[in-house]
Amino acid sequence: MAENGRKILLAVDEGDESMYALTWCLKNVISENSKDTLILCYAKPPRAVHTAMEGTVWAFSPDVMESLERYSNDVAQCVIEKAKRACKHLNDVKVETVVEHGDPRDMICEVAEKLKVDLLVMGSHGYGLIKRAFLGSVSNHCAQNAKCPVLIVKKPKPKGGNGKH
Amino acid sequence: MDTTTAETSSTGAEGAAYQLLTTTATAAAEEKKKTKVLVAMDESDGSFYALKWALDHFFCYPIQRDQEPSMITLVHVQPIFQPFIYPAGPVVYATPAMLDAVKQAQAQNAASILSRALHVCREKKIKAETLILEGDLKDRICQAAEQLHVDLLVIGSRGLGTFKRAFLGSASNYCAHHVQCPILIVKPPPPSKEPHSE
Repeated sequence: MAENGRKILLAVDEGDESMYALTWCLKNVISENSKDTLILCYAKPPRAVHTAMEGTVWAFSPDVMESLERYSNDVAQCVIEKAKRACKHLNDVKVETVVEHGDPRDMICEVAEKLKVDLLVMGSHGYGLIKRAFLGSVSNHCAQNAKCPVLIVKKPKPKGGNGKH
Repeated sequence: MDTTTAETSSTGAEGAAYQLLTTTATAAAEEKKKTKVLVAMDESDGSFYALKWALDHFFCYPIQRDQEPSMITLVHVQPIFQPFIYPAGPVVYATPAMLDAVKQAQAQNAASILSRALHVCREKKIKAETLILEGDLKDRICQAAEQLHVDLLVIGSRGLGTFKRAFLGSASNYCAHHVQCPILIVKPPPPSKEPHSE
């Protein structure tokens, strides 16, 4: 029953929420003794080739495209490095990284299915009028469509003093 | 709790100043804080599956060497029985006897669910306590999660609708949006898979 070797997929992006999810995960889900596999997944949103508006079609020159591509690769590297550094102290845990291209919502669910993970962990941006009351669209979509259990970690708002009720 | 942590830390630093001891004691006390987990239960198999999955995958070993095992709170929310039946047709007021009967049935139902759940927890040697609440399922769970300051909410997901596996049930969706703490949504396994523990 106490099987080791869970596969945990953690979705990272540039925001703070996923780093908070990572630290929460390291604190509460993974221990040094467990032989888990932690897979960090970064979904690179595809660069729009041209933002076509009525009348003005921006045709990006190859140089611009290249530098955009390089920038997004750098961002991906940075995010993955930051996440890996946070996991450095785990000895028994295998840390793998996956970088996917495409819409994060679908990519994360696909990767979770492909790798047959046991648990999908993600942060949540909570965009919307009342930030705390809504889930981000990516986490909402993944929670609905992923076939495996999903753990959504929300970053608590820094509250000074006692809470509201 | 402070004395026990002071003992465990004094074995390392024997002649250290008391200031160092107290700081390590408070640090160790923070680490030793139990993880509070709230598990929402109802009659469906989905919530029992969620409970078993959480027990299998989360709590099979202590997270840190010093940390005590987490405390699980099983909560069951009973919908409040409306005394008015068939508001569209002739309004039938339930007699007090009927109300009592329904209340008893509900209490029995809740007790049986929670005892089954407690049994599951005891099999895996996890401490658990139970809580019965009344009211609207979604609101009460979110309120309970906030008031008890839980670290994790575990909820099963029963997809209603045509694609049973593809969507979240409304309760888990609502809780995922409104609860402040991390939430773990466990979906029932696909029917093709054998129901053995992975």
